[in-house]
Amino acid sequence: MKKLLFIIVLFLAINSQAQITKVSLQASGLTCSMCSNAINKSLKTLDNVEKVMSNISTSTFEISFKDGAAVNFDELKKKVEDAGFFVSKLTADVSFNNVKAQKDDHLQYAGMNLHFLNSTDQVLNGSRQIQILDKGYVSSKVYKKNQGLTKMECYKTGVTSACCASSGMVAGSRMYHVSPL
Amino acid sequence: MGAGSMAQELYVYTEPASNMAAKGIGFRLSNSLMQQVSNKGNYNFHSIPEVMIGISKKSMLHAEFFLSNRNTKLVAEGGALYYKYRFLSVDEVHSHFRMAAYTRLSYNNSDVHQPAIDVNGHNSGVETGLIATQLINKVALSASVAHMYAADNGKGNKFIYANNNRNAVGYTLSVGKLMLPKNYISYNQPNVNVMVEMLGQTNWETGSSFLDLAPSVQLILMSRMRIDAGYRFPLVNNLKRTADRGFLLRFEYNIFNAF
Repeated sequence: MKKLLFIIVLFLAINSQAQITKVSLQASGLTCSMCSNAINKSLKTLDNVEKVMSNISTSTFEISFKDGAAVNFDELKKKVEDAGFFVSKLTADVSFNNVKAQKDDHLQYAGMNLHFLNSTDQVLNGSRQIQILDKGYVSSKVYKKNQGLTKMECYKTGVTSACCASSGMVAGSRMYHVSPL
Repeated sequence: MGAGSMAQELYVYTEPASNMAAKGIGFRLSNSLMQQVSNKGNYNFHSIPEVMIGISKKSMLHAEFFLSNRNTKLVAEGGALYYKYRFLSVDEVHSHFRMAAYTRLSYNNSDVHQPAIDVNGHNSGVETGLIATQLINKVALSASVAHMYAADNGKGNKFIYANNNRNAVGYTLSVGKLMLPKNYISYNQPNVNVMVEMLGQTNWETGSSFLDLAPSVQLILMSRMRIDAGYRFPLVNNLKRTADRGFLLRFEYNIFNAF
Protein backbone atom coordinates (compact mmCIF):
# COMPACT_ATOMS: atom_id res chain seq x y z
CA MET A 1 0.00 0.00 0.00
CA LYS A 2 2.83 2.34 0.95
CA LYS A 3 4.51 1.53 -2.33
CA LEU A 4 1.36 2.31 -4.26
CA LEU A 5 0.98 5.64 -2.46
CA PHE A 6 4.58 6.46 -3.27
CA ILE A 7 4.00 5.71 -6.94
CA ILE A 8 0.88 7.88 -6.98
CA VAL A 9 2.70 10.75 -5.29
CA LEU A 10 5.62 10.35 -7.69
CA PHE A 11 3.25 10.34 -10.65
CA LEU A 12 1.55 13.51 -9.43
CA ALA A 13 4.88 15.20 -8.89
CA ILE A 14 6.09 14.31 -12.37
CA ASN A 15 2.79 15.34 -13.84
CA SER A 16 2.89 18.79 -12.30
CA GLN A 17 6.40 19.36 -13.53
CA ALA A 18 5.55 18.28 -17.03
CA GLN A 19 3.28 21.27 -17.48
CA ILE A 20 5.97 23.34 -19.13
CA THR A 21 6.51 21.90 -22.56
CA LYS A 22 8.71 24.44 -24.27
CA VAL A 23 10.69 27.59 -23.53
CA SER A 24 11.68 30.18 -26.06
CA LEU A 25 14.29 32.73 -25.13
CA GLN A 26 15.95 35.62 -26.85
CA ALA A 27 19.45 36.63 -25.83
CA SER A 28 20.79 40.15 -26.10
CA GLY A 29 24.17 41.59 -26.91
CA LEU A 30 25.24 39.32 -29.74
CA THR A 31 25.31 39.28 -33.51
CA CYS A 32 27.67 36.46 -34.48
CA SER A 33 27.52 32.72 -34.75
CA MET A 34 30.40 31.98 -32.36
CA CYS A 35 28.59 33.79 -29.53
CA SER A 36 25.28 32.18 -30.39
CA ASN A 37 27.02 28.81 -30.33
CA ALA A 38 28.42 29.59 -26.87
CA ILE A 39 24.84 30.03 -25.60
CA ASN A 40 23.62 26.97 -27.50
CA LYS A 41 26.33 24.79 -25.95
CA SER A 42 25.82 26.30 -22.51
CA LEU A 43 22.06 25.54 -22.53
CA LYS A 44 22.72 21.98 -23.64
CA THR A 45 24.74 21.27 -20.49
CA LEU A 46 21.50 21.26 -18.44
CA ASP A 47 20.35 17.72 -17.69
CA ASN A 48 16.69 18.45 -18.29
CA VAL A 49 17.19 19.95 -21.75
CA GLU A 50 16.39 17.63 -24.61
CA LYS A 51 16.91 19.88 -27.60
CA VAL A 52 17.90 23.44 -28.41
CA MET A 53 16.90 24.92 -31.75
CA SER A 54 18.67 28.19 -32.37
CA ASN A 55 18.09 30.98 -34.81
CA ILE A 56 21.38 32.86 -35.08
CA SER A 57 20.06 35.94 -36.84
CA THR A 58 17.28 36.62 -34.30
CA SER A 59 19.31 35.35 -31.30
CA THR A 60 16.43 33.10 -30.25
CA PHE A 61 16.63 29.62 -28.76
CA GLU A 62 13.71 27.18 -28.63
CA ILE A 63 14.31 24.76 -25.79
CA SER A 64 12.44 21.50 -25.33
CA PHE A 65 12.75 19.38 -22.22
CA LYS A 66 12.99 15.71 -21.37
CA ASP A 67 9.76 13.96 -20.37
CA GLY A 68 8.76 14.75 -16.82
CA ALA A 69 11.71 17.06 -16.21
CA ALA A 70 11.26 20.07 -13.94
CA VAL A 71 12.00 23.38 -15.62
CA ASN A 72 13.81 26.13 -13.78
CA PHE A 73 13.82 29.51 -15.56
CA ASP A 74 16.63 30.86 -13.37
CA GLU A 75 18.86 27.96 -14.45
CA LEU A 76 18.26 28.80 -18.11
CA LYS A 77 19.01 32.47 -17.48
CA LYS A 78 22.22 31.61 -15.67
CA LYS A 79 23.41 29.51 -18.62
CA VAL A 80 22.91 32.44 -21.01
CA GLU A 81 24.78 34.76 -18.65
CA ASP A 82 27.60 32.23 -18.24
CA ALA A 83 28.11 32.40 -21.98
CA GLY A 84 28.61 36.16 -21.62
CA PHE A 85 25.16 37.43 -22.63
CA PHE A 86 21.77 38.35 -21.21
CA VAL A 87 18.17 37.24 -21.61
CA SER A 88 16.01 39.90 -23.23
CA LYS A 89 12.84 37.80 -23.52
CA LEU A 90 11.70 34.43 -22.20
CA THR A 91 8.36 32.79 -22.86
CA ALA A 92 7.17 29.36 -21.74
CA ASP A 93 4.43 27.14 -23.14
CA VAL A 94 2.47 25.98 -20.12
CA SER A 95 -0.50 23.64 -20.18
CA PHE A 96 -3.12 24.99 -17.82
CA ASN A 97 -6.14 23.21 -16.46
CA ASN A 98 -8.86 25.60 -15.29
CA VAL A 99 -6.51 28.02 -13.60
CA LYS A 100 -8.00 31.29 -12.45
CA ALA A 101 -5.50 34.07 -13.09
CA GLN A 102 -6.29 37.41 -11.53
CA LYS A 103 -4.54 40.67 -12.20
CA ASP A 104 -1.77 41.44 -9.72
CA ASP A 105 -2.45 38.25 -7.80
CA HIS A 106 -0.45 35.19 -6.85
CA LEU A 107 -0.97 31.59 -7.67
CA GLN A 108 0.87 28.29 -7.27
CA TYR A 109 1.02 26.15 -10.37
CA ALA A 110 3.29 23.46 -11.76
CA GLY A 111 5.46 23.69 -8.68
CA MET A 112 6.03 27.41 -9.23
CA ASN A 113 4.85 30.59 -7.59
CA LEU A 114 3.38 32.83 -10.27
CA HIS A 115 2.38 36.46 -9.98
CA PHE A 116 0.11 37.54 -12.84
CA LEU A 117 1.34 41.02 -13.41
CA ASN A 118 -0.11 42.22 -16.64
CA SER A 119 -3.29 40.32 -17.30
CA THR A 120 -7.03 40.67 -17.20
CA ASP A 121 -8.87 38.32 -14.85
CA GLN A 122 -9.29 35.12 -16.79
CA VAL A 123 -9.45 31.35 -16.61
CA LEU A 124 -6.47 29.72 -18.28
CA ASN A 125 -7.11 26.45 -20.07
CA GLY A 126 -5.01 24.32 -22.36
CA SER A 127 -1.63 25.33 -23.68
CA ARG A 128 -0.85 29.00 -23.13
CA GLN A 129 2.26 31.03 -23.54
CA ILE A 130 3.40 33.11 -20.59
CA GLN A 131 6.19 35.64 -20.56
CA ILE A 132 8.48 36.04 -17.55
CA LEU A 133 8.73 39.71 -16.57
CA ASP A 134 11.25 39.52 -13.74
CA LYS A 135 14.47 41.48 -13.61
CA GLY A 136 16.98 39.95 -16.03
CA TYR A 137 14.22 38.41 -18.20
CA VAL A 138 13.26 41.61 -20.03
CA SER A 139 15.25 44.69 -21.01
CA SER A 140 15.85 47.10 -18.14
CA LYS A 141 13.52 49.58 -19.87
CA VAL A 142 10.61 47.13 -19.85
CA TYR A 143 11.35 46.11 -16.27
CA LYS A 144 11.15 49.72 -15.13
CA LYS A 145 7.99 50.37 -17.12
CA ASN A 146 6.25 47.38 -15.50
CA GLN A 147 6.96 48.70 -12.02
CA GLY A 148 3.72 50.68 -12.38
CA LEU A 149 1.72 47.44 -12.56
CA THR A 150 2.19 46.39 -8.94
CA LYS A 151 3.02 47.84 -5.58
CA MET A 152 4.09 44.51 -4.17
CA GLU A 153 7.57 44.00 -2.81
CA CYS A 154 8.05 40.63 -4.53
CA TYR A 155 8.41 42.33 -7.91
CA LYS A 156 11.61 43.97 -6.75
CA THR A 157 13.10 41.00 -4.93
CA GLY A 158 11.83 38.07 -6.99
CA VAL A 159 11.04 36.17 -3.80
CA THR A 160 7.84 35.80 -1.80
CA SER A 161 7.47 38.13 1.15
CA ALA A 162 4.72 39.57 3.36
CA CYS A 163 2.75 40.61 0.25
CA CYS A 164 2.35 36.98 -0.74
CA ALA A 165 1.20 35.66 2.64
CA SER A 166 -2.50 36.00 1.79
CA SER A 167 -1.96 33.51 -1.05
CA GLY A 168 -0.63 30.98 1.47
CA MET A 169 2.94 31.15 0.22
CA VAL A 170 5.93 30.68 2.46
CA ALA A 171 8.11 33.77 2.55
CA GLY A 172 11.48 33.56 0.86
CA SER A 173 10.70 31.26 -2.05
CA ARG A 174 11.11 32.16 -5.72
CA MET A 175 8.28 34.14 -7.29
CA TYR A 176 8.06 34.55 -11.06
CA HIS A 177 6.19 37.55 -12.38
CA VAL A 178 4.39 36.64 -15.57
CA SER A 179 1.99 37.77 -18.20
CA PRO A 180 -0.11 35.44 -20.38
CA LEU A 181 0.39 36.24 -24.07
CA MET B 1 39.68 36.32 -27.74
CA GLY B 2 37.36 33.61 -26.72
CA ALA B 3 34.03 32.43 -27.91
CA GLY B 4 31.89 34.58 -25.69
CA SER B 5 32.25 37.75 -27.65
CA MET B 6 31.10 38.91 -31.05
CA ALA B 7 33.15 37.95 -34.05
CA GLN B 8 33.52 41.58 -35.11
CA GLU B 9 35.20 42.35 -31.83
CA LEU B 10 37.50 39.35 -31.74
CA TYR B 11 40.26 41.76 -32.64
CA VAL B 12 43.51 40.49 -34.01
CA TYR B 13 45.93 42.90 -32.28
CA THR B 14 43.91 43.83 -29.19
CA GLU B 15 41.41 42.31 -26.79
CA PRO B 16 37.76 43.45 -26.53
CA ALA B 17 35.99 44.23 -23.25
CA SER B 18 33.89 41.07 -23.65
CA ASN B 19 35.04 37.78 -22.23
CA MET B 20 34.99 34.25 -23.46
CA ALA B 21 32.19 32.02 -22.15
CA ALA B 22 32.47 30.74 -18.59
CA LYS B 23 33.92 27.23 -18.41
CA GLY B 24 35.34 27.50 -21.91
CA ILE B 25 38.93 26.72 -22.82
CA GLY B 26 40.67 28.15 -25.84
CA PHE B 27 44.02 27.34 -27.42
CA ARG B 28 45.84 29.93 -29.44
CA LEU B 29 49.07 30.08 -31.40
CA SER B 30 50.17 33.56 -32.48
CA ASN B 31 53.09 33.79 -34.86
CA SER B 32 54.63 37.07 -35.91
CA LEU B 33 57.30 37.74 -38.44
CA MET B 34 58.78 41.21 -37.93
CA GLN B 35 61.23 42.87 -40.28
CA GLN B 36 64.40 44.22 -38.66
CA VAL B 37 65.02 47.93 -39.04
CA SER B 38 68.82 47.56 -39.26
CA ASN B 39 68.83 44.68 -41.72
CA LYS B 40 65.71 44.60 -43.86
CA GLY B 41 66.45 41.13 -45.17
CA ASN B 42 66.18 39.77 -41.64
CA TYR B 43 62.93 38.83 -39.95
CA ASN B 44 62.43 38.06 -36.29
CA PHE B 45 60.06 35.20 -35.61
CA HIS B 46 58.04 35.28 -32.39
CA SER B 47 55.64 32.53 -31.48
CA ILE B 48 53.23 32.71 -28.54
CA PRO B 49 51.31 29.54 -27.63
CA GLU B 50 48.51 30.45 -25.26
CA VAL B 51 45.82 28.75 -23.18
CA MET B 52 42.69 30.77 -22.35
CA ILE B 53 40.23 29.89 -19.59
CA GLY B 54 36.77 31.36 -18.95
CA ILE B 55 36.76 31.40 -15.16
CA SER B 56 33.32 32.98 -14.83
CA LYS B 57 31.00 35.05 -16.96
CA LYS B 58 32.97 38.13 -15.94
CA SER B 59 36.56 36.99 -15.72
CA MET B 60 39.07 35.12 -17.82
CA LEU B 61 42.71 34.11 -17.60
CA HIS B 62 45.33 33.52 -20.29
CA ALA B 63 48.66 31.75 -19.82
CA GLU B 64 51.14 32.63 -22.55
CA PHE B 65 54.55 31.29 -23.47
CA PHE B 66 57.13 33.27 -25.42
CA LEU B 67 59.30 31.67 -28.08
CA SER B 68 61.55 33.62 -30.42
CA ASN B 69 64.49 33.24 -32.80
CA ARG B 70 65.73 36.82 -32.42
CA ASN B 71 69.11 35.51 -31.30
CA THR B 72 69.78 32.89 -33.98
CA LYS B 73 67.63 29.87 -33.03
CA LEU B 74 64.13 29.43 -31.64
CA VAL B 75 64.26 29.44 -27.83
CA ALA B 76 61.80 29.80 -24.95
CA GLU B 77 62.09 33.26 -23.51
CA GLY B 78 59.45 33.29 -20.80
CA GLY B 79 55.74 33.64 -20.28
CA ALA B 80 52.91 35.77 -18.99
CA LEU B 81 49.61 35.62 -17.18
CA TYR B 82 46.82 37.83 -18.50
CA TYR B 83 43.66 38.46 -16.47
CA LYS B 84 40.61 40.38 -17.62
CA TYR B 85 37.52 41.39 -15.64
CA ARG B 86 34.37 42.76 -17.28
CA PHE B 87 32.80 45.27 -14.91
CA LEU B 88 30.17 46.91 -17.11
CA SER B 89 27.71 45.48 -19.59
CA VAL B 90 24.80 47.32 -21.18
CA ASP B 91 23.18 44.95 -23.66
CA GLU B 92 20.34 45.35 -26.13
CA VAL B 93 19.21 42.72 -28.62
CA HIS B 94 21.80 43.43 -31.32
CA SER B 95 24.12 45.82 -29.55
CA HIS B 96 26.12 46.21 -26.40
CA PHE B 97 28.53 48.47 -24.58
CA ARG B 98 31.03 46.81 -22.31
CA MET B 99 33.99 47.81 -20.21
CA ALA B 100 36.74 45.70 -18.71
CA ALA B 101 39.97 46.06 -16.77
CA TYR B 102 42.97 43.84 -17.42
CA THR B 103 46.46 43.16 -16.27
CA ARG B 104 49.36 41.22 -17.78
CA LEU B 105 52.25 40.07 -15.62
CA SER B 106 55.14 38.86 -17.64
CA TYR B 107 58.60 37.33 -17.43
CA ASN B 108 61.11 37.42 -20.25
CA ASN B 109 64.77 36.39 -20.25
CA SER B 110 65.82 37.85 -23.61
CA ASP B 111 68.20 40.80 -23.97
CA VAL B 112 66.55 44.21 -23.82
CA HIS B 113 67.17 45.75 -27.22
CA GLN B 114 64.69 48.64 -27.63
CA PRO B 115 63.27 51.51 -25.58
CA ALA B 116 59.70 50.69 -26.70
CA ILE B 117 58.09 48.51 -24.02
CA ASP B 118 56.35 45.24 -24.92
CA VAL B 119 55.44 42.97 -22.03
CA ASN B 120 53.88 40.59 -24.52
CA GLY B 121 57.09 38.99 -25.75
CA HIS B 122 59.99 41.40 -25.14
CA ASN B 123 60.07 42.76 -21.59
CA SER B 124 59.49 41.42 -18.12
CA GLY B 125 56.98 43.73 -16.53
CA VAL B 126 53.37 44.65 -15.90
CA GLU B 127 50.69 46.15 -18.10
CA THR B 128 47.38 47.32 -16.62
CA GLY B 129 44.60 48.83 -18.66
CA LEU B 130 40.99 49.63 -19.36
CA ILE B 131 38.99 48.59 -22.43
CA ALA B 132 35.67 49.92 -23.74
CA THR B 133 33.87 48.13 -26.57
CA GLN B 134 30.71 49.11 -28.43
CA LEU B 135 28.96 46.67 -30.74
CA ILE B 136 26.16 47.75 -33.07
CA ASN B 137 24.84 45.13 -35.46
CA LYS B 138 27.76 44.18 -37.70
CA VAL B 139 30.30 46.76 -36.54
CA ALA B 140 32.32 46.75 -33.33
CA LEU B 141 34.42 49.63 -32.02
CA SER B 142 36.89 49.30 -29.21
CA ALA B 143 39.39 51.53 -27.43
CA SER B 144 41.88 50.85 -24.69
CA VAL B 145 44.41 52.68 -22.60
CA ALA B 146 47.11 51.04 -20.50
CA HIS B 147 50.05 51.70 -18.26
CA MET B 148 53.16 49.66 -19.03
CA TYR B 149 56.07 49.08 -16.73
CA ALA B 150 59.27 47.38 -17.85
CA ALA B 151 61.23 45.53 -15.16
CA ASP B 152 64.68 44.05 -15.73
CA ASN B 153 64.56 40.92 -17.85
CA GLY B 154 65.70 37.55 -16.53
CA LYS B 155 69.15 35.96 -16.91
CA GLY B 156 70.78 39.24 -15.86
CA ASN B 157 69.43 41.13 -18.87
CA LYS B 158 68.86 44.57 -17.40
CA PHE B 159 66.59 47.26 -18.78
CA ILE B 160 69.44 49.18 -20.37
CA TYR B 161 67.73 52.56 -20.74
CA ALA B 162 67.39 55.20 -18.04
CA ASN B 163 65.40 54.03 -15.04
CA ASN B 164 62.78 56.71 -15.53
CA ASN B 165 62.14 55.38 -19.06
CA ARG B 166 60.55 52.20 -17.68
CA ASN B 167 56.99 53.56 -17.86
CA ALA B 168 54.85 54.07 -20.94
CA VAL B 169 51.22 54.65 -21.90
CA GLY B 170 49.74 52.32 -24.48
CA TYR B 171 46.57 53.14 -26.39
CA THR B 172 44.59 51.35 -29.08
CA LEU B 173 41.59 51.97 -31.29
CA SER B 174 40.01 49.07 -33.19
CA VAL B 175 37.20 48.71 -35.71
CA GLY B 176 35.84 45.36 -36.86
CA LYS B 177 33.14 44.55 -39.36
CA LEU B 178 31.39 41.28 -40.08
CA MET B 179 31.54 40.80 -43.87
CA LEU B 180 30.20 37.26 -44.25
CA PRO B 181 27.80 35.59 -44.00
CA LYS B 182 25.12 38.07 -45.04
CA ASN B 183 22.48 35.89 -43.41
CA TYR B 184 23.02 33.31 -40.73
CA ILE B 185 21.61 29.87 -41.34
CA SER B 186 23.83 27.55 -39.35
CA TYR B 187 26.78 27.33 -36.99
CA ASN B 188 28.82 25.75 -39.76
CA GLN B 189 28.87 28.80 -41.99
CA PRO B 190 32.28 30.45 -42.12
CA ASN B 191 32.37 34.03 -40.78
CA VAL B 192 34.70 36.59 -42.31
CA ASN B 193 35.64 39.73 -40.42
CA VAL B 194 37.77 42.66 -41.48
CA MET B 195 39.53 44.80 -38.88
CA VAL B 196 41.58 47.96 -38.81
CA GLU B 197 43.45 48.81 -35.64
CA MET B 198 45.68 51.61 -34.41
CA LEU B 199 48.28 50.68 -31.82
CA GLY B 200 50.23 53.39 -30.06
CA GLN B 201 52.64 53.93 -27.21
CA THR B 202 54.18 57.01 -25.61
CA ASN B 203 57.06 56.82 -23.18
CA TRP B 204 56.10 58.52 -19.93
CA GLU B 205 59.46 60.23 -19.50
CA THR B 206 60.84 60.95 -22.96
CA GLY B 207 57.53 61.64 -24.70
CA SER B 208 58.67 59.57 -27.70
CA SER B 209 55.90 57.66 -29.44
CA PHE B 210 55.04 55.14 -32.05
CA LEU B 211 51.67 54.69 -33.70
CA ASP B 212 51.04 51.66 -35.91
CA LEU B 213 48.27 50.88 -38.33
CA ALA B 214 47.28 47.22 -38.42
CA PRO B 215 44.74 45.92 -40.95
CA SER B 216 43.71 42.27 -40.68
CA VAL B 217 41.27 39.63 -41.86
CA GLN B 218 39.74 36.86 -39.81
CA LEU B 219 38.08 33.60 -40.69
CA ILE B 220 35.87 31.78 -38.17
CA LEU B 221 35.06 28.15 -38.89
CA MET B 222 32.43 25.88 -37.33
CA SER B 223 31.70 28.69 -34.83
CA ARG B 224 34.71 27.56 -32.81
CA MET B 225 37.91 27.88 -34.86
CA ARG B 226 39.61 31.09 -35.76
CA ILE B 227 42.35 32.06 -38.23
CA ASP B 228 43.73 35.63 -38.16
CA ALA B 229 46.11 37.27 -40.61
CA GLY B 230 47.36 40.81 -40.18
CA TYR B 231 50.12 43.25 -41.03
CA ARG B 232 51.26 46.15 -38.85
CA PHE B 233 53.41 49.12 -39.83
CA PRO B 234 54.29 52.46 -38.25
CA LEU B 235 52.68 55.80 -39.07
CA VAL B 236 54.55 57.63 -36.32
CA ASN B 237 57.88 56.16 -35.33
CA ASN B 238 59.86 58.20 -32.76
CA LEU B 239 60.02 55.53 -30.09
CA LYS B 240 62.61 53.11 -31.36
CA ARG B 241 61.96 49.46 -32.07
CA THR B 242 64.43 47.02 -33.63
CA ALA B 243 61.72 45.41 -35.79
CA ASP B 244 58.78 47.70 -36.43
CA ARG B 245 56.69 46.10 -39.17
CA GLY B 246 55.54 42.65 -40.11
CA PHE B 247 52.97 39.91 -40.33
CA LEU B 248 50.86 38.10 -37.77
CA LEU B 249 49.29 34.69 -38.32
CA ARG B 250 47.20 33.17 -35.57
CA PHE B 251 45.25 29.97 -35.03
CA GLU B 252 42.70 29.51 -32.29
CA TYR B 253 40.43 26.68 -31.20
CA ASN B 254 37.71 26.95 -28.57
CA ILE B 255 36.10 24.24 -26.49
CA PHE B 256 32.80 25.21 -24.84
CA ASN B 257 31.87 23.93 -21.36
CA ALA B 258 35.22 22.23 -20.96
CA PHE B 259 35.02 21.89 -17.19
